Amino acid sequence: MATFTTVSFFSTPTTTASLTSNFKNQSFFVSKTNKPTFFSPISLTCSPLLQKSSYVSKFSETEALPVIESQPDSELTQVAEFTDVETPKPEQIFAVVMIGGRQYIVFPGRFLTTQRLKGANVNDKIILNKVLLIGTKTTTYIGQPVVTNAAVHAVVEDQGLNPKVIVYKYKKKKNYRRNIGHRQPNTRIRITGITGYQDFPAVTLDSLKH
Amino acid sequence: MTRIRRGYVARRRRTKIRLFASTFRGTHSRLTRTTIQQKIRALVSAHRDRGRQKRSFRRLWITRINAAIREMGVSYIYSISINDLYKRQLLLNRKILAQIAISNTNCLYMISNKIIK
Repeated sequence: MATFTTVSFFSTPTTTASLTSNFKNQSFFVSKTNKPTFFSPISLTCSPLLQKSSYVSKFSETEALPVIESQPDSELTQVAEFTDVETPKPEQIFAVVMIGGRQYIVFPGRFLTTQRLKGANVNDKIILNKVLLIGTKTTTYIGQPVVTNAAVHAVVEDQGLNPKVIVYKYKKKKNYRRNIGHRQPNTRIRITGITGYQDFPAVTLDSLKH
Repeated sequence: MTRIRRGYVARRRRTKIRLFASTFRGTHSRLTRTTIQQKIRALVSAHRDRGRQKRSFRRLWITRINAAIREMGVSYIYSISINDLYKRQLLLNRKILAQIAISNTNCLYMISNKIIK
């Protein structure tokens, strides 16, 4: 049996994984449209293609701190300890969620631009129930079709509009031209956590080897 | 009738068009009448290709999923795998499957094992 390696799926957001934003999404999916940050430029989403994560790494803040003066040794050790303490390992979990008829891969701590959610105001807490897949480094929970009782918690950050798209219609030799601009409303949500999947039957590589 | 000069009306209109086509090649960004035509063609192409974009991405995803499934060796064929996916009532779409295929092959392996049973 061939061995499979988990490619940089769970790399820290600073290292560019092949997971960029929903490239398609901007127009569309996701990336488009994604639709990323996580998603590679292929996903539509968007156009709205994939998402564009704005995860701010803590590294940049800690490295700015050490004073570049005398006593280099003590400073260096201090910096080393500081960076070790500053980065507790996160859970490294992802979920596939369906919002507005489109599916997105979602990480806690990153944000996501989706279709406008009606009735959601800024700083509202949102629970997304349509979770199709949850994965960690070792196990996956494959929903059929939905992972029961799983929920992705998110906070609405911003309700805005996509960049303007010019819809230009033209028929040659018939004197027909229409110039229409269009801005699609969107909502930016930040994912805070993924819960409720523990009781669901999990699939691991070991269980498959039998 | 008194004499009226046209002033800068036409020039303002044309500068906007010229700005839009400022990155085009050769005379398409320099000569006014050509620039106007090229701007129209550019906008029309963009509109048409926004629809095409959806199609071409779906093709790309299908190709990638096909390649990953053939390489993995569980089921070997894209069409059969998609059929199994529907029979097992999984809702994952091709975009997500393609993304999982390139970044987290373990996960795709687990999915394909689950649907083939």
